[in-house]
Amino acid sequence: MQSLGIDVLFKGTNFLRLLEGLWVAVRISLISVAISIVLGILVGILMTSRNMAVKAIFRVYLEIVRIMPQMVLLFIVYFGTTRVFGWDLEAETAAIIVFVFWGTAEMGDLVRGALISIPKIQYESAAALGMSRGMAFRYVILPQTIRRLIPLSINLITRMIKTTSLVMMIGIVEVLKVGQQIIEANRKVSPNAAFGVFAVIFLMYFLICWPVSRLAVWLEKKWA
Amino acid sequence: MDIEVIRSYIPLYRDALLLTLRIGWQGVLWAFVIGLVCTLIRQLRIPVLRQLVTVYVELFRNTPLLVQLFFMYFALPKIGIRISAEVCGSLGLGLLGGAYMAETFRSGLDNIAPIQEESALSLGMSYLQAFRYVILPQAVTASMPGIVANVIFLLKETSVFSVISLMDLMFTAKDLIGMYAKTIECLTLLVVFYLIMLLPVSLLGSLLERRMRRAEFGN
Amino acid sequence: MRKNQIVAAVTAITLGAALASSPAAFADEAFRTLDEIKESGTINIGVFSDKSPFGYVDENGDYQGYDVYLAERLGEDLGVDINYVSTEAANRIEYLQTGKVDIILANFTVTEERAEEVDFALPYMNVALGVVSPEDAVIESLDDIGEDDQVIVISGTTAETYLVKNNPEIKLQKYDAYAEAKTAFENGNGVAWANDNTEVIAFSIENEGYVVGIPSLGSADTIAPAVTKGNETLLNWINDEIVALGEENFFHADYEATLLDTYGADYEDTLVIEGGVAAGAETEAE
Repeated sequence: MQSLGIDVLFKGTNFLRLLEGLWVAVRISLISVAISIVLGILVGILMTSRNMAVKAIFRVYLEIVRIMPQMVLLFIVYFGTTRVFGWDLEAETAAIIVFVFWGTAEMGDLVRGALISIPKIQYESAAALGMSRGMAFRYVILPQTIRRLIPLSINLITRMIKTTSLVMMIGIVEVLKVGQQIIEANRKVSPNAAFGVFAVIFLMYFLICWPVSRLAVWLEKKWA
Repeated sequence: MDIEVIRSYIPLYRDALLLTLRIGWQGVLWAFVIGLVCTLIRQLRIPVLRQLVTVYVELFRNTPLLVQLFFMYFALPKIGIRISAEVCGSLGLGLLGGAYMAETFRSGLDNIAPIQEESALSLGMSYLQAFRYVILPQAVTASMPGIVANVIFLLKETSVFSVISLMDLMFTAKDLIGMYAKTIECLTLLVVFYLIMLLPVSLLGSLLERRMRRAEFGN
Repeated sequence: MRKNQIVAAVTAITLGAALASSPAAFADEAFRTLDEIKESGTINIGVFSDKSPFGYVDENGDYQGYDVYLAERLGEDLGVDINYVSTEAANRIEYLQTGKVDIILANFTVTEERAEEVDFALPYMNVALGVVSPEDAVIESLDDIGEDDQVIVISGTTAETYLVKNNPEIKLQKYDAYAEAKTAFENGNGVAWANDNTEVIAFSIENEGYVVGIPSLGSADTIAPAVTKGNETLLNWINDEIVALGEENFFHADYEATLLDTYGADYEDTLVIEGGVAAGAETEAE
């Protein structure tokens, strides 16, 4: 059996290119999570509204996110919007829009859950201490909510990083696409490169996502 | 939008739906089996196997299905392990789902007070009996919303099957767009068929969730 | 704030619905004219990044190949920088129609169906379909393909369209990308791989143990640059350029720089089209 393609990774700038591809994935998810957290908090607060129309709208929104694969949303936003609205989105922008659309729904739902899970007595105690509604929210409710949300949003980061593997399907050259290019360019000299390249990409994803998800678990236990 | 085009594509989407459902549910079944076996190993504290379960769960929860499939389908044959696309799809889904299910079952089990197990044992049940008749039913009920979320998550993940040449809904849409460029029709049908496949599951899930408040959204 | 949020949410939600309900595709003017491209200083060119030796990325991250060689020259003569966009076979039309690239130079075969969706410039290469198979089980005619055998094709290629149309009984195993299809073929997932004959010939030369049992299938076609339908200024410029390049035997030089290593000198005259004049263009079958 010939070499399993590990050597190919160190030819030229191949390994560096893989890392660059990985960074594209991480960058897209970090930007998306940051925007999702901000929008998610707003949406979450709105979701606690008792207005039926607002409730119905968010119900539909959550349902769409829950049902539609991100892959489908990517295609709709990247190719569909150009067709229908004439928008010309960069692939990366399209990816961020889809990830924010998804992330905001999940964050919003988590924020809503966190908000309604805080016992009523806390609002009442704050009021009894002479705090205004705004103050109670700012000093009592929000800190607790955020504490609950941080582990969950860290979790969201890892899931987004994993989902970025799909963006190669709309032409973004990320780590998997770079991997394929490397396999293709070396097919003649190293026909088994597929093994080494995919094994390394598998490990790369793991090495990024695992510590982050451990951190989430640790924070969750610490703040529980 | 061209109704004739849509009409002519519907049989293709229907076939794709059937394939997606078939492999998707096989995957879900695998996920249950693998998840249960892992949970059992963890509950019985079997040495070595227990550590292996942890490694497996962490490995598969922290990597994308797409990469797992690439590895199983394209890389493993290079060292002589050849798996057909369909098996690869359902097994891949099962391995991913098994890791998620194991975690969901675990959090379900964590909810059960230790006294229940002690009571069962003091009634003369063996550990396996206590697990089978007392703990398991409660744990399954408690983790129901998580299980439903996992099932939806797994059925959605079938959308990456194009890389291993399986004609699922997503690939059918992409393929038709590539051949005939009827983008709007293809994407509309795609959305409609995903709704047909997943809306019932999701509604059922919400129903259960409302009954037992404790969701573990997707993860 | 509240109102805006609601508006934003509603917009987001209607995105899906609008797509389903809106019949209007008013993005036909999505292209950039020649002047607009020159003004912006950058041209977007869609090429393959995993189809050696026509369009691929070398170990230094640079695009290379027969198509890319032409792309480089077009960029140079236009006096603009090139932004390469990596495409898959199935979304080449999509990229042009949505204006995401100005030119497709991704080994794009001219067909009637495609010509309805995009505008092709003058051709620069000859092509037909071909079928490659392992040498211990050579497929020499489509009749050799058994009922349960699967033939590998790439989604969105002429090979796929041809087989779907003319041999619907053959079971196809479809892939998104060249790299995936080739690796699957190497791994023995199909009895044969049908694609452009240029591509399968290259594969059989570069990889031991494979034979092109069917070197030519279907009609003799050509490969040409494509632009968004109606982008006349760019189309005319490319056509003039291809004619002008013919005078310096540019495409022979292209062949010698990018394809000679793979094909040797034997195929030079059969593959290359110089100055946009295809030898048998008008006499092809069907």
